Amino acid sequence: MGVQIVMDRSGDTRHEFDTADREAVARAEQRFLELTGKGFRAVALGKDGGPGTLMRNFDPTVEQSLFIPQLQGG
Amino acid sequence: MAEMEDILRALLRRALSERGGEARTLTGITIDSGWRRFEPRLCAEFSDGYRTSHSLTPSACFAFCERHGVWDIAALRGLLLQDMRRIHAQMLREHRAQRGAGRQTWIAMLIRRLRGRLRRRPGRQLPAIEAVFRRHFLDESGEAWERGLQLLEENLSPEQRRQYDASGYFDVTGGASGKRYRIRQGSSMNVEQLDKRGRRVCTLCFMPAGRLVTGDVMLAQKVALEVFERDALKVANKFY
Repeated sequence: MGVQIVMDRSGDTRHEFDTADREAVARAEQRFLELTGKGFRAVALGKDGGPGTLMRNFDPTVEQSLFIPQLQGG
Repeated sequence: MAEMEDILRALLRRALSERGGEARTLTGITIDSGWRRFEPRLCAEFSDGYRTSHSLTPSACFAFCERHGVWDIAALRGLLLQDMRRIHAQMLREHRAQRGAGRQTWIAMLIRRLRGRLRRRPGRQLPAIEAVFRRHFLDESGEAWERGLQLLEENLSPEQRRQYDASGYFDVTGGASGKRYRIRQGSSMNVEQLDKRGRRVCTLCFMPAGRLVTGDVMLAQKVALEVFERDALKVANKFY
């Protein structure tokens, strides 16, 4: 089971998908492409709060991926 | 049961309300037997030696024992300690959120911040009114706030979590440079670059677009510095 966590104004929205389900994986990949296309950065979260890794391509084996909106200076 | 919980909360409220209260961790709990006509007292002990007590009525004690089916003092102490730690963690979170949201009106907080600005020394913590502003003016719901905070806490390392619980900030190591950064409670002007001695070098201001809740902003800052530090520094404004 994979989870895509998208940061938004409600805190976050979680999209779970079954890695064995081809359609669900395809939808997850589509979501990945849409969000990264909008400027979100996808990060595979590390275990126990450790540093994650930047995802440049969709990887269905990643358990938890976090989508962060584009950064801006304040 | 409710009465026992009230007693535990009263003890913790007292411990938290005093100076250095947030940094204390609960280390033990004892029951002092009553002397003559005085009731027994429940005493909580903390890591810094602080000790506080509250009278324990037999009915509250009996109700607690009956509910949990424990009738020996060691098991009772163990259960009380376990319950008290749970309540302590919850109260710490509430305390932090309350401090962030501020009990004072935003104008009083603004005046305090301006006063602080006048006597600010390098390395001094920036007073934060962002939380108040965001909740009052950006219409952030309490639920969103909680979700953001929960997501942040789920993704802190044990050391960062301990530091955040104790001090309201946590340190992060830059993934590319190995530099140390401190992320304080807040959504802007809340990241500091530290030198080797832990002193502030500069304040960085960057956040994700879209008016996210504070927990999300802090998590995005942590992940950005750990995973794509250079890109984060490119957009960040620096204040020396």
